[in-house]
Amino acid sequence: MAVCTVYTTRSLNSTCSISTPSKTYLSSHQKQLVFSSTDKRTSRRGSSPWVINCSAGDSQTVVIGLAADSGCGKSTFMRRLTSVFGGAAEPPKGGNPDSNTLISDMTTVICLDDYHSLDRTGRKEKGVTALDPRANDFDLMYEQVKALKSGIAVQKPIYNHVTGLLDPAELIKPPKILVIEGLHPMFDERVRDLLDFSIYLDISNEVKFAWKIQRDMAERGHSLESIKASIEARKPDFDAYIDPQKQYADAVIEVLPTQLIPDDNEGKVLRVRLIMKEGVEHFSPVYLFDEGSTISWIPCGRKLTCSYPGIKFSYGPDSYFGNEVSILEMDGQFDRLDELIYVESHLSNLSTKFYGEVTQQMLKHADFPGSNNGTGFFQTIVGLKIRDLYEQITSTKTAAPLEATKA
Amino acid sequence: MATLSSLSLVTTRAVANVPDTTVKVPYLNQPWKRVSQLGCRRMQAFRAVRAAPDGISEKVEKSIKEAQEACSDDPASGECVAAWDEVEELSAAASHARDKNKDSDPLENYCKDNPETDECRTYDN
Repeated sequence: MAVCTVYTTRSLNSTCSISTPSKTYLSSHQKQLVFSSTDKRTSRRGSSPWVINCSAGDSQTVVIGLAADSGCGKSTFMRRLTSVFGGAAEPPKGGNPDSNTLISDMTTVICLDDYHSLDRTGRKEKGVTALDPRANDFDLMYEQVKALKSGIAVQKPIYNHVTGLLDPAELIKPPKILVIEGLHPMFDERVRDLLDFSIYLDISNEVKFAWKIQRDMAERGHSLESIKASIEARKPDFDAYIDPQKQYADAVIEVLPTQLIPDDNEGKVLRVRLIMKEGVEHFSPVYLFDEGSTISWIPCGRKLTCSYPGIKFSYGPDSYFGNEVSILEMDGQFDRLDELIYVESHLSNLSTKFYGEVTQQMLKHADFPGSNNGTGFFQTIVGLKIRDLYEQITSTKTAAPLEATKA
Repeated sequence: MATLSSLSLVTTRAVANVPDTTVKVPYLNQPWKRVSQLGCRRMQAFRAVRAAPDGISEKVEKSIKEAQEACSDDPASGECVAAWDEVEELSAAASHARDKNKDSDPLENYCKDNPETDECRTYDN
């Protein structure tokens, strides 16, 4: 394990000086301090603002896995998550414009479609969907995620969604938080073991159909039948390969049609369940009023007025695929700011840094889909939980504290 | 006078470009059509270079037709399923392209890469 310390010129012999890195963020595989000797007379006068960051020998890259079918809100979740950490995630500058990777200060988001072993024509020839494990190179996925987790940069292939071809590789430097999102983050057991936290977005069939209609009806050529046929054709592969991943996830966000409106088929009001696995290291589930008990709560009443159909919460312990879980459920919509803050003030273990942080994050992205219902709310909460998890992991891993001296 | 000269100009160009005159006689007789054809072709080439959403939309349409054809033979076959998967992938790409174009502001995009230019300077105090 490398230990780094920082010296100013006064503590060293005068013939040596330490060069300051111009960037404050170094990639974590750099382990050496750069020494250069200069003449004492030409060295800088007065203050020497030496701040050097060295990384510890073992990695501090936290790996998060996000699994969901196509068109289920992965991109929205990614934007919310990177926003919690600050900054907007952008595709790498100067690289392939069709790159699927997003990079921000703290996070790098990798799309697992880049690990397709067969491109679109290859899959067509073999009669295989992208959901099929035969179309993906899990060995490469495992090696590269392992390398990034250990602080080694990789050359990752690019799958171009527009052309359907595999483009030349791009360089990915190990970030502080690596998010792998796609169809199969938890499919391969070796990759699953590398994940520090995993999330699965489980969208029910009716809601998926409604969302895909919203997304695709604007396209020429699509009709209700074609959308339905597309979902039905992919369903067998989805049920066989993608759906079973939810038993391994630490958090599942399940989206169902509402129970508040009888015979609702518009799919606007949603019932969202946040299923949180118990006993996961560095992750404490969110609860309502009393941890481990079963609660049913309708916040609308004397203190809070809601418009139709209102909001209904429930919380309780349960068993999910043989695991102990806690389920927090929200049915309904937020119409006003005070509903949001009222609900937030009654939930516990949110890992917020200040009162109203969830509300503030939701308002910051009020134009994102799901900002008025449980999907956005729980995605934001999971984002804060991931931040908390990251801070816990990095504080336990720092064996020797880094001393940064600023003169 | 001007029309006569332009006519002759066009006809000479047409002759130079088209070696086989027996087939292309109607073109030569109606040179204004020839000019517009050239113009259209130029426009088409220009469009292909620029078209992100247009290109993808056409791809989506084409893939839906292909999927419907593939499934008319055998709905449970691998080809049918793979074809509809392709439709799904292209629809997702089209939707992402639409979102990207929707909130791309030309000034913001320029300023992201060149924050020091006069148009992009911000003064916070």
